[in-house]
Amino acid sequence: MGMGFTGLALGAMLQRDGIASGASWSPPTGLPHFPPKAKNVIWLFMNGGVSHMESFDPKPMLTKYGGKVIAETPFRDTQDPKKLAIERLVVPDANGNKRNLLYPLQIGFQKHGQSGIEVSDWFPNIARNVDKLAVVRSMWTTDSNHGAQAQFHSGRHMNDGEFPTLGAWVHYGLGSLNDNLPQFISMGTREYWNKRDGHYLGPAHDAVPLRIDPANPLDFGKSERPFAADAQTLGLDLVQQLNALRGVEYPNDPAMAARVASYELAFRMQRSVPDVLDFSKETAETKALYGVDQPHCRDFAMQLLAARRLVERGVRFIQIQHGGGGAGAWDAHGGLKTNHTKNSLAVDQPIGALLEDLERRGMLEDTLVIFATEFGRTPGSQGSDGRDHHIFGFTVWMAGGGLKRGIVHGATDEIGFHATENRHYVTDIHATILQQLGLDSRQLEIPGRKRLEIDHGKPIREIIA
Amino acid sequence: MKRAGTAVGEFDHGFSATNFMHASPPMQTSVVRCANVAIALLMCAAIARAEVDYAAQVKPLLRQKCYACHGALKQKAGLRVDTVALMLKGGESGPALVAGKAAASALLERVMETDPHERMPQEGEPLTAEQIALLRNWIDAGAHGPANEIPEADPKQHWAFQVVQRPALPVAGVARNAIDAFVDEALAREKLTPLPEASRSVLLRRVYLDLIGLPPTREELHAFLDDHSPDAYERTVDRLLNDPRHGERWGRHWMDVWRYSDWYGRRSANDVWNSAPQIWRWRDWIVNSLNADKGYDRMISEMLAADEIAPLDDGAAVATGFLIRNWYALNQNQWMREIIEHTGKSFLGLTFQCAHCHDHKYDPIAQQDYFRFRAIFEPIHIRQDRWPGEEDPGKFQDYEYVKQRKPNRLGAVRIFDRDTEAKTWLYTGGDERNRVTDKPPLTPGVPAFLGVNGLAIQPVPLPKEAVYPALRPAIQATEISSRRAALQRAEDQLVALTAVLSSAPTIVEKARTAVLAARAALSSSQARIAADQARFGDALADEKITFARKAALAEREAGVASGHAAIADAQHLLVLAEAMPATDAKTRDTAITATKNAAAVATKVLENAEAALRDPKAPDTYTAFSPTYPAQSTGRRKAFAEWLTRREHPLTARVAVNHIWMRHFQEPLVSTVFDFGRNGAKPTNPALLDWLAAELMEHGWSMKHLHRLIVTSAAYRRASHAAPDDAASHADAERDRDNHFLWRMNPSRMEAEVVRDSVLHLAGVLDATMGGQELENTQAETSTRRSLYFSCHPETGGRSQIAAMFDAPEPTDCYRRNRSVIPQQALALTNGKLVHDHSGALALRVGAKTETPENFITGAFEHILSRIPDEKERAMCHDFLRDGSRESLVRVLLNHNDFITVR
Repeated sequence: MGMGFTGLALGAMLQRDGIASGASWSPPTGLPHFPPKAKNVIWLFMNGGVSHMESFDPKPMLTKYGGKVIAETPFRDTQDPKKLAIERLVVPDANGNKRNLLYPLQIGFQKHGQSGIEVSDWFPNIARNVDKLAVVRSMWTTDSNHGAQAQFHSGRHMNDGEFPTLGAWVHYGLGSLNDNLPQFISMGTREYWNKRDGHYLGPAHDAVPLRIDPANPLDFGKSERPFAADAQTLGLDLVQQLNALRGVEYPNDPAMAARVASYELAFRMQRSVPDVLDFSKETAETKALYGVDQPHCRDFAMQLLAARRLVERGVRFIQIQHGGGGAGAWDAHGGLKTNHTKNSLAVDQPIGALLEDLERRGMLEDTLVIFATEFGRTPGSQGSDGRDHHIFGFTVWMAGGGLKRGIVHGATDEIGFHATENRHYVTDIHATILQQLGLDSRQLEIPGRKRLEIDHGKPIREIIA
Repeated sequence: MKRAGTAVGEFDHGFSATNFMHASPPMQTSVVRCANVAIALLMCAAIARAEVDYAAQVKPLLRQKCYACHGALKQKAGLRVDTVALMLKGGESGPALVAGKAAASALLERVMETDPHERMPQEGEPLTAEQIALLRNWIDAGAHGPANEIPEADPKQHWAFQVVQRPALPVAGVARNAIDAFVDEALAREKLTPLPEASRSVLLRRVYLDLIGLPPTREELHAFLDDHSPDAYERTVDRLLNDPRHGERWGRHWMDVWRYSDWYGRRSANDVWNSAPQIWRWRDWIVNSLNADKGYDRMISEMLAADEIAPLDDGAAVATGFLIRNWYALNQNQWMREIIEHTGKSFLGLTFQCAHCHDHKYDPIAQQDYFRFRAIFEPIHIRQDRWPGEEDPGKFQDYEYVKQRKPNRLGAVRIFDRDTEAKTWLYTGGDERNRVTDKPPLTPGVPAFLGVNGLAIQPVPLPKEAVYPALRPAIQATEISSRRAALQRAEDQLVALTAVLSSAPTIVEKARTAVLAARAALSSSQARIAADQARFGDALADEKITFARKAALAEREAGVASGHAAIADAQHLLVLAEAMPATDAKTRDTAITATKNAAAVATKVLENAEAALRDPKAPDTYTAFSPTYPAQSTGRRKAFAEWLTRREHPLTARVAVNHIWMRHFQEPLVSTVFDFGRNGAKPTNPALLDWLAAELMEHGWSMKHLHRLIVTSAAYRRASHAAPDDAASHADAERDRDNHFLWRMNPSRMEAEVVRDSVLHLAGVLDATMGGQELENTQAETSTRRSLYFSCHPETGGRSQIAAMFDAPEPTDCYRRNRSVIPQQALALTNGKLVHDHSGALALRVGAKTETPENFITGAFEHILSRIPDEKERAMCHDFLRDGSRESLVRVLLNHNDFITVR
């Protein structure tokens, strides 16, 4: 690592320019390790923990046995301490005792599509697209508090420290499809413990936060003081001319070449980003499909529409976290029905629209859409009308990007307590995504850092087409 | 549920392997490289039988998967597999190999075993089918290896575990000092030609940024260029080393290594979980200690054990911030884990944390050693002492689930041994729930392989002022002066009110009782201090009782006086409430009720206080000014610090020297700065490293001595780039691209702090104020204080937006800075507030508006880039100034690669 610098897609840029050759260690080439099935990722993450039983893994037994203590039901073996031992405590049970009183489903559910996959009535628009989804109902994780958000992005429990997120690794591994835009963008609300991506890969691999505000979409994207655009151009031209002169003096300075390139990228970026957010070129039908005119889902709709436009322009990884406040909007310790009604209204229509829009534009084949959350919610009630955090079984779905369509993989037990069939830890989702992008996570290591086997995960072959 | 069981097992294993895997770090050891090559080969194609190459394919695989248990470090079942001969010889259950017969070879059998309890390796992923095929083909082909294959060396013989012997100086040519003798020897051996000395202006800028973190001003540049005396450079170096800004610059470097962080946890809820709100005193101690050239040995000793080696030195006690920084309110084990990991990495250059879950895979550190290391720190806790001239911060707040720990900005935090009997229990799998209780708890100790005699632990009796901190004269004086000041304020208030004829009687009464209460409080404090003096002094038992009785009485009298004052206050508030306009009856009634309630409470308090005063059986006890802490400390940390700083300790000085060298030369001598163990990198110049380590130790561990030596060496003064027409040097560049042998200086990029501070400094607005409580990053763009004084923690807001762009340190782990080149940096310097706000002032600092464009251009280049422009540059800038402003030209130069680059 003698060069001592890293850069946003610079690995690829320098390689392309022949600059990185011959160094004792060289960054990734920016090329996939094997032929990819997908080019882009849209990562939708619901902060706080979505109830799996009331979204994509309906459990009628909860209604049947509602109000009963688990120990008095046929499901008493779910309480086996050995099965509960995957939980890693940070502090003694932050939210009180186990939730042992089964809580009935707060919403109905139906079978949908040709696949007949059951989806709760809170998600009618996603349900309409259920034949596009690969639903994984057998997720588990180990952090029973909201550190699990960071864990879902990095694969590691908070107690182990901070580790690069999946998006950062993708950014690190794959070159650019568009030199005018950042290749890794985040939108929405991120809790503080899950705020960054690059960690030991460096800030160059942090997602660039994008605001859906055409006037101010990018950090430092606008000058602090208004001055004529041509004056700015003039100054920048001089910067680059002066640097070019020095290039004669320092012909073998890769850092200098990288800096010159980074200035060019910066200004292309600054010009390109507002165009992404210019929705005036979208048809009224498209805007209505996403729901940009609906107050209850407007923000998310605009983010997803922007995401599609970013994918069209070749941005690799778009990470959208939904729902801030507390530890995440979906964190329904009390009033689950009100909470999930409101939140599903905010996301369902935009997500359904995104799936349809990508499909009709022929983009779904190349684009992986992931719907994830840090954990599920307890089959038992918390208080009179809530559910607590639940790490032993929950649901994630994916669509597009060369995955099978209309398939359910894995299962929880009859009350949604434990993932029982084809269990998957969070990094199996990462591995599946990397696989589709043509990346081998074992080749994404950097000198000086060794990843755990558990960090690599295993691709879920059963859902890959 | 079979799957669930498996999954749990997998996870547990993943967890247990965490630290080992995570920490096996070298930048690029041959192990990693070979393994990658092997894997890559395996991936491409099936292995043809005849082509298996033991050295290139088999050995790396065995090294990666097997050596930890069957090599020099350990010989489980008596087996070593680090040479073919040893495999043929085998272990307790016979040979591991039968040449030519894979099917009969135990090695192959064990890696293919389906029972996970029998399968090798026991930890980590099983071998892949390709890897197994490779082994099979190699064995079947005859299991050939090289002749005279050398087994792994004894781990205890590892270079970094040997006592530092000062190497003899090589015969030097034109060397400036000893450093050059070693560097030049290596260059001669490698047939590399060093570049000539850098130009004087490049050198001056380099050494300014290096030693004080700021570039020279135009005037300083001129003064240096005009100084033709032979020792002009050396005198500059001395001046910079004595500049207080040197401590700020290098303080920040050590803050990186020592993981400085301001408090964090749940900042959004104002709840402290990690570190402490008073931790900034440790930062100031670092800066001041460096400026005073306190020895490195003394510095790390104070950081570990100031409370034991200098219990009465409040200034030193804050150094234990090093341990407090790791504090985690919610989990004591986590606190201990972080202390062990980072004490190991920063002082010892050892990845001790690997032995948390299992014996270390590379170094001879057993899991027991990990817990013995932990036992050194087991008794500690944090206390919060009053600081002279400040109000009392109260007792340090322990964690309770239901209670918020709001940041307390008063006082100083320091470490003490709270529980001298604290037990350290071993637990397995890195999980504190798996405590091993059938073995005795661990005693404190350090690994024997480091060759130094172990810890000499002697309990440390503590002076009474350390046991009862309120006994310190400065604190007593603070208490009395604060009471006197309160009394003075009350008296002034009364005088002012009585002077005004129209004052309401109730407000005058309130002021009058307040004076009495303040006076009684002063008397109470005086009596309690007198009683403290008697109690901890030589007074007779009777006298102690008499003083205590007086103090108790004075305290009760103060209670009565304060009760009267509270009632007078409530009565005055009642009058005010009753005088409220009747138009808002609701507000008025609420106020009246509230004041009446307050009066009732105050009356009750007063009654109790009066009853206590009258009570003939009232106890002779009074309220202490501070907690009383244990009278003895275990001496464990003192012994550890003493062990760490012995002349014969093999690691401490080497690790320190490497950190210092890296920050002067941009690249360390040992690239794995926190791992000098067997999995770490080898030094690029071992003799130089050892010579510097010996030099540091034998010069009182003076860091300024080392800085001076380094920056005055010829190696440091070299140019960083060959002239474009210097073909020979460019050929050298091809042969030593990474400049391992220092034929040139390494260029670098300004760190985040230096970017910001330099802009402010060149604009002439940098505030020279040193020290104090950290500033919030929201002020980073408006304040002109040095960047070091801004908050630094891992939560949101833990670094300023601009600092984050330029790789400000990760407060959780930053043994080495990143130096990225990213487009957002360009946006930050062209669009950001910093450059915009100060480019005007900077332009005026360069030259008055009446200055000619020619002079302005020269001045701006000299001031910002420390050089004069050449003719082409001058012409371009001249053209620019026809339409563009001087301020814009300043902005251009601040965006010039030569500004942010240190050549």
